Amino acid sequence: MSIISRYGSSEEFGAHGRRRNGIFLRRAALRKNTGCRIEVGAARHTLCMKTITGDLHATKEALKRLLPAEDILTFGFSARRGLKFVCVFADPITDKEALGEQVIRALLSYDGPPVAAEVAKKLTSPEIRRGTSLDKLAAEVLSGNPVLLFEGMDEGIVVGTKKVVTRAVAEPSTDVAVKGPREGFIEDVKTNTSLVRKRFKTADLRIEMLEIGRRSKTCVALCWLEGTTPAKTIHEVKKRLMEIDIDIIPDSSYLTHFLVTRPYSLVKQVGTTEKPDIFAAKIAEGRLGLLVDGSPIALTLPYMLIEDFQSSEDYFVPPYRATFTRILRLLALIAAIYLPAFYVSAQLYKLQLFPVKLLLTIAGSIRDIPFSPSLEMLLVLFVLEVLNEASIRMPRYVGMALSVVGALVLGETAVSAGFVSTPAIIIIAFSGIGLYAVPNLIEQTSVLRLAMLLIAGSIGPYGIILATAFVLVYLVTTVNFGVPLVAPFAPLSGRELKDSLVKFNLRSLKIRPQVLKSPNKRRMK
Amino acid sequence: MKLRKFLHTLPMKLYLILAAIVVFAFFSNDFGLVDIQKTAIILAAGIDKTERGFSVTAQIAVPKGSDRTTGGTSSVEIEAEGETVSDCISLIFAKTGWVPKLVFCDLIVIGEEAAREEDIISHLNYFLRNDYMPDSCMLAVCAGKAGALISSPSAIDDASSLAITKLFSDAAQKSGMVAVSTLKDFTIGYYGVSESGFLPYIRMNTQEGGQSAGDGHAAVPEENQKVYIAEETALFKKGRMVALLTREETFAFSLLRGKVFSGTLNAMDGEKPVTLTVVRNKGGVSLKMKEVPTAELSLSLTLRLCCRGVSAAITDIASDSVSPEILQSAHDLLIEHVEKLFTTAKEAGCDLFMLRRDLFRRSLKEYAKWKDALLPALQLSPKIALNSMK
Amino acid sequence: MKISTRQVLFFLACVAPVGKIVLLPARLAESAANDLLFPLAMHYLLQTGAVFLVLLLARRGQSFFGLMQRSFGKIAAKILLTLYALFLFFAALLPLLEQKLLVQSVFYDTLPSLVSFSPFFLFAAFIAAKPLSASGQVCDLLAPIAIAGMAGIFILSAGSADLFALSPAFSSGASGIFTAFRDGFGWFSDAALLLPFLGTFEYKKHLALKGALCYLTGGAVVILFTAIFYGIFQETATNQLFAFTATSKFFAGISTLGRIDYLFIFLLSLVMTFYCALPLQTGVECLLQVYGRGRYLPAIFSVAVSAVLLVLSVLLDYHFTEVLKAVGGTLFWLFPLFSVLIPILLLIFGRRRRETS
Repeated sequence: MSIISRYGSSEEFGAHGRRRNGIFLRRAALRKNTGCRIEVGAARHTLCMKTITGDLHATKEALKRLLPAEDILTFGFSARRGLKFVCVFADPITDKEALGEQVIRALLSYDGPPVAAEVAKKLTSPEIRRGTSLDKLAAEVLSGNPVLLFEGMDEGIVVGTKKVVTRAVAEPSTDVAVKGPREGFIEDVKTNTSLVRKRFKTADLRIEMLEIGRRSKTCVALCWLEGTTPAKTIHEVKKRLMEIDIDIIPDSSYLTHFLVTRPYSLVKQVGTTEKPDIFAAKIAEGRLGLLVDGSPIALTLPYMLIEDFQSSEDYFVPPYRATFTRILRLLALIAAIYLPAFYVSAQLYKLQLFPVKLLLTIAGSIRDIPFSPSLEMLLVLFVLEVLNEASIRMPRYVGMALSVVGALVLGETAVSAGFVSTPAIIIIAFSGIGLYAVPNLIEQTSVLRLAMLLIAGSIGPYGIILATAFVLVYLVTTVNFGVPLVAPFAPLSGRELKDSLVKFNLRSLKIRPQVLKSPNKRRMK
Repeated sequence: MKLRKFLHTLPMKLYLILAAIVVFAFFSNDFGLVDIQKTAIILAAGIDKTERGFSVTAQIAVPKGSDRTTGGTSSVEIEAEGETVSDCISLIFAKTGWVPKLVFCDLIVIGEEAAREEDIISHLNYFLRNDYMPDSCMLAVCAGKAGALISSPSAIDDASSLAITKLFSDAAQKSGMVAVSTLKDFTIGYYGVSESGFLPYIRMNTQEGGQSAGDGHAAVPEENQKVYIAEETALFKKGRMVALLTREETFAFSLLRGKVFSGTLNAMDGEKPVTLTVVRNKGGVSLKMKEVPTAELSLSLTLRLCCRGVSAAITDIASDSVSPEILQSAHDLLIEHVEKLFTTAKEAGCDLFMLRRDLFRRSLKEYAKWKDALLPALQLSPKIALNSMK
Repeated sequence: MKISTRQVLFFLACVAPVGKIVLLPARLAESAANDLLFPLAMHYLLQTGAVFLVLLLARRGQSFFGLMQRSFGKIAAKILLTLYALFLFFAALLPLLEQKLLVQSVFYDTLPSLVSFSPFFLFAAFIAAKPLSASGQVCDLLAPIAIAGMAGIFILSAGSADLFALSPAFSSGASGIFTAFRDGFGWFSDAALLLPFLGTFEYKKHLALKGALCYLTGGAVVILFTAIFYGIFQETATNQLFAFTATSKFFAGISTLGRIDYLFIFLLSLVMTFYCALPLQTGVECLLQVYGRGRYLPAIFSVAVSAVLLVLSVLLDYHFTEVLKAVGGTLFWLFPLFSVLIPILLLIFGRRRRETS
């Protein structure tokens, strides 16, 4: 992995390659000096060729050898004075129309010298780079940027006519807000950075592009606000990213595994969002953001648990409403995690947790059930998880059938057949819904719910208390990039509680979260 | 090196072992666990004295199965006889195979014979020792056998205990028709310096011409279905039942405790009876240590005319106010009831108003002087103020 | 990692009181009856003084071992700290057994086997292996939980209490009050728990005073609760072993809503779980200060101590009354010795050494 460019600037290729490949440099110099081609052993030379030479055929062959795939095409044409050009491009990801218009049509009338700088002047493409390293030129071809070679060239020309196949910017399905912006990140990192850039019309927004993945060479954009995000965090994140040595990075979630200190952590340690407005707000608070090419999910660091209880909408509605919904989210989550566990432990160990009338109703419902209360609940939970998993991945046209099977066959019929009881289904249904009150934590909370259920079924109510104690200790001892996970509750910070479960008016939030240790503390005057 | 590697991987191994233990325990559930399906949920218990010792009748709730369309609560009554109450409960377990759980036991009824002959704390000893027995459980005495009362089919509810506990509801207490006591209240009275207490006294009558409310006793002929009345109050001294307050005395007692908010009081309007509703009740008993100790029973009631057995003009019906004559009649009646109440308690040696306790709390010196002589020497000074709702 | 002084204050005001509302009220009522508030107040005054002294010691910015070493020399400090750790493990025994009984009768309708309580020792081993800062951090979360739990219990209980039951004062006589005072020592070792925390937090202005006030505030809450408890159960208070679980069930809404008070009982039990594990953690910390912090030493100590206490809790399962007698009778002097006398000695000897040097 290497840092290839600062976003928005172009880089001259080749210097590096020249230094490494003295032989070819010398040959090129010789050729330049003598003005004649060295034909002897040319085929052998192309085998180990690392930089381009003035020999069009040999260079083309060398490049083709580096790119043997069938979808890498070459197209040759001659200019007015007979100067031969060859364009090497990746067929599926190159905009051939733009190539024809901006390169071929422009060069047909070229009558200048075979010098890259002169040729480049004739091209009408806004994005042109030059380079001599064949490896890097090959990488450009694979990225969708055609490489233009010509007889007697000193450098190859990279033309930015990449055909980016992207979907339109749309509202993300997993991060919906009734009020507020509806834009969502897509799989193209450039589009995503543009969505961020348009929210910060300041030079302080720094976007640094990294390339991660030996084979995928995935573009990762680090975004931060200079002077607001602590330099230590930026340095630490960069360091951890640079240490990654993996062949491909298909999605941003891959990076999270390398960024965290506790890879087997029960809780999430990297913030995720699909919305540029949330991403921008987090950066503005002093966090660092990561956009990964090919992934619509952006990462933010350091992560605090409270982030997932905050919705972008909370800032667009009155503070009392935001406070209410945040508390509601917390209560729904607690109920969703604990309800199945308490229901089972009440049936097994502590009947008094039910009012007597409810107890008799439950006792009546489970009288003919062949399973123990704990096994029954586990079974229903298992069915819920299967339905959940299947409904996400199942093709939409069978979705209706799944609903019928899930709701009627597994629900209604299972109750009438006496496999499971109605209260168990009600409990799990509520729990299933409740977890989605905080959708970003679903992976963690569903595991926690299962763990609580197992503990409740085996140890009882005291087991639930102990498990909660374990979780509390675990949470307070988890620190991400120097920021405690459960801040601002532990360590308690009275000032930051204004935007925690209780949401104060925006005018009260003048200071950035202290816990993020931003050098620029004040955000509002 | 090996040790270091072992120690390094130890936490993960321990977590796995722990998870395995939890999963094993989850699926086996076999360590003395008594879950809902193996439980006898005892709703009420009736205790009687027998020649062998005790007889306990437990009313056990029976789940109705998944068909909940009919509603209500089914129950079954199991009787067991043994030397102690605990012995009887164990026998119930042996008879049913269900583990008896007392956590929902909301009523303990003691047969009159048992209540009169012995200190009922000996009956309740098991329940007081049992950590799982709620001390908010209602206590009552019944005419005849408690077992018969508990086992009787109720005309009001599916289970007799549910019908009886309705008599002890907050609303019933506010009517002043019943004086309720819980296991905790009775025990405090018993172990306190007053050594006295009271329990509602239940009588069981056959329902005539009524209809069954639930389906719990659908098979029981209507003429056998029972209704329960708890308008009388049993008085206790050192755990023994020593007297029985009548309906009127119980009402007067409730008024003195200041617990009546919607009770009715009968008085006379000349020759015709009238019924008055108690709208506001302030009652209190205080001990005055003058030459002789005097119990000042003060009562302040606001009354509203509820029913007048005469034909009257609509303007008269629209008015709630009570005439001075009726108020005087009610006053005389209440004085009579209060005096009777006081006399009954005093003669029985029951410190119903906890005056000895008041004296103890007020002055240790006075208490030491009067603790045995207080009740016999006690004089009554009733102060009753009745007002009409205007 | 340092803990903040706020977390220490939270411990004193919110977490420490929770350990005193289980068996202690009934135990005090046994000898002092309606005078039970007197021995309780005496304990609080004594312990507040001790807490004040311990927090004063924090001004020196040294760890507990450092202070011991400065006062008594290295060898003596090692011996004393080991003894101190043993005392803390001994002090842990009573709350442990207390909680075990509480769990068995409050969280289970039928008497469960040891399986139900033994997982506590896993938790104890887990937290004891963590640095003290973990407990400090947790206090930030436990404080609102404890406040919510106590508030809930107060709201549900207060209406049922007859506070006149607390009169007349001194009815049980001086002997009753002092017997209850002696019986209560086992529950008061908070200053001793605080000593190993020295060095993990920095002394700030008036910390000792603030700490004493916080501890007194917690004490006031416990005294108020104990008054309500006695007002509800009066002469039968001795029979109500698990005070905070017993007072709220007479609330009128319970009959219709079910045992909503269990919500608050669970919250307080959660806080109590940490409080019970704290002597183990502080004891392990003492051992670590003496024997050094190897990579695996915290885990080894914590597992060993938890295992020993697990065995003891099994062995003493049917001898709780004997334990109560031992803690409140023969060995009660250990508590003032370690939680009051040691801070005084450290204050005196540390100063003398400094003067001489």
